[in-house]
Amino acid sequence: MNAQAATILMVEDDPEISRLVADFMRREGFEVACVADGKAMDSMLQRLRPDLVILDLMLPGEDGLSICRRLRADDAIPILMLTAKSDEIDRVVGLEMGADDYLTKPFGPRELLARVRAILRRASGTPPKPLVRRFAFDRFVIDLDARSVETTGAETPELQLTSAEFDLLGCFVQRPRRVLTRDQILDWTRGRSAEPFDRTVDMLISRLRRKLDGASPGSNLITTVRNGGYLFTATVKQVS
Amino acid sequence: MLRVTLAARLALIGLVGFIVVVTVLMGIFYRTTLQENELTRPSPARLDALATLLEGTVGDARQAVLDAVSSPQFMARIVPSGAPVDGETPERQRQLRETYAAGLAGRPVEIVSPPDHRASRLFPRLARLMANAIEFRIGLRSGDLLVIDAYTRLPVTQFGLPVGFGAGLFGSIVALLALLVMQRETRPLARLAAAVDRVDLSADPPPLPDARRSAPEIRAVIAAFNRLQGRLAEMLRARMTLVGGIAHDVRTFATRLRLRVEHIPDDAERQRAVADIDDMIRLLDDALLSTRAGAGGLSQEMVELAALVAVEVNDRHAQGAAVDLVTDERARDVVVLGDRLALRRVFANIIDNALAYGHAAHVRTALKDGAVVVSIGDEGPGIPADQRQTVLEPFHRLEKSRNRATGGAGLGLAVVRSLVEAHGGTIEIGAAPGGGTRVSVTLPVFQPV
Repeated sequence: MNAQAATILMVEDDPEISRLVADFMRREGFEVACVADGKAMDSMLQRLRPDLVILDLMLPGEDGLSICRRLRADDAIPILMLTAKSDEIDRVVGLEMGADDYLTKPFGPRELLARVRAILRRASGTPPKPLVRRFAFDRFVIDLDARSVETTGAETPELQLTSAEFDLLGCFVQRPRRVLTRDQILDWTRGRSAEPFDRTVDMLISRLRRKLDGASPGSNLITTVRNGGYLFTATVKQVS
Repeated sequence: MLRVTLAARLALIGLVGFIVVVTVLMGIFYRTTLQENELTRPSPARLDALATLLEGTVGDARQAVLDAVSSPQFMARIVPSGAPVDGETPERQRQLRETYAAGLAGRPVEIVSPPDHRASRLFPRLARLMANAIEFRIGLRSGDLLVIDAYTRLPVTQFGLPVGFGAGLFGSIVALLALLVMQRETRPLARLAAAVDRVDLSADPPPLPDARRSAPEIRAVIAAFNRLQGRLAEMLRARMTLVGGIAHDVRTFATRLRLRVEHIPDDAERQRAVADIDDMIRLLDDALLSTRAGAGGLSQEMVELAALVAVEVNDRHAQGAAVDLVTDERARDVVVLGDRLALRRVFANIIDNALAYGHAAHVRTALKDGAVVVSIGDEGPGIPADQRQTVLEPFHRLEKSRNRATGGAGLGLAVVRSLVEAHGGTIEIGAAPGGGTRVSVTLPVFQPV
């Protein structure tokens, strides 16, 4: 493996940071291309196949999280995330996004170099597994891509959910043990254009609750939090 | 000062008004009845005629005359011997006596207040006053003494009630109505106060209900409060945006700077520059966190507190710090609803303080009364009892020098406190057994329903 010849694509909106990182990485023997946003990245990817993408979380236009998800779905390019908010780290490297590693700003160049090398070493050893979106919780296994929910050890393993109920459950499963407000749930299940139909969420949740409770009695997976919202209390594990 | 509710004040005003009305009416009543007293008092001519009649009769006839003129208001009797004593008459009745003496054609007369047979033993004076009794002692020319007890009883209306009762009743009803109206008027104010207490500016505050039937002043207060609430929420949002924007930009500059300091040739100098940038970012993070905590912007998730504390302890233990941890068996799986990052900053900050000022950190996690208590004790000189509260204020530190080597910018414990309080918890500074400081953080345990 020759990591020194690897090509890195840097997606970062601040030109100074891009330049400083690029200068440093070039001195270390990498090929570096810099783009400022998702659109520029897409056109760059037509011409270039990088060995690694350094992706800033906060970008103008399409944000880093969405780009990360998109890259992961299409391809197996390793991703190193740059985050400003340390509280986003869990989600970035967790179940949802599938970034290979992260760095919090401000970061030192040596730290960056060490992370980049580690990711490249891992990537060249074993091809990165495609992102599996199957999760297990309580007695259930949900597959977000196949859009199915199975109950382990039940007579009828397939749990019948409507499309809206499935989206809602998917939203909870990807953000477990975290209080979600009605607005957040609406945002994530219906996209940004959702009107504040508070009641719809409430009704949907009570229907989902009934179905989950019917398949796994007494599990009480969705808790209402006083003046906060809803909380999915189960521990979620990614399964293959 | 004695605290009296608005309703009580208004009740007092009503009571006072009522008393004034009753007093005025009683005054009028007594003025009129006093004039009636003059009329109901036996006239001198009547007494003169009776005296003349009695002087002309003897024996049974005399008794018949007495029976004929006597009534409960006018009781006449003859005392066989004895003469009226002159000169003992009080000044108030002297004029009255003159009048009667003039009308009785020179007969000696004495006017006294008789001892009333119905007089109350408790309030004899008051009972006499009520009976309005007057006793005439007239010396008859036949040598006998005529004694007349005249009473003016309390006048009653045609309904059989004492005069003035109606007025009193009317006043009472007016006062009662006033009280009810006032109570109704003050209710929106009480509701307003309750609503103000409930206001949570982090979300879009719901406007207070307009009390449509209330007085215009109260409606104006409610409208003004709604405007204030809107302005506050907007201000808070603007501040969050501002702090968030500053944080983002400062972080961008810090990132550039961090990349640039790599060109500093001197190793020691470069290390110091890197440490400076790290401190700066930590301060920024703290400020951002405490701003979010103050605005209710912290996230809420289920955090295994014992595990979170253990991670902080183990990190420092791995770096060779004198830190140990004892977790109570029951507190091992305790879950707290809160912001993971904020809680990590809380315990990291307290443990680092203990290590910096107290040479060691002894961390204990336990359950107490349905809450989880994490206490961090050290082996330092301790904090004097009178300064324990002030160290929780922003920018306070025990060492007056703002020496960087012994700590941060002094924002630490204040941020810790605001974060703990945003989680519904409390922070307490006490003494550790060895004379050091012990900081105890109490957080409510989350119980899913």
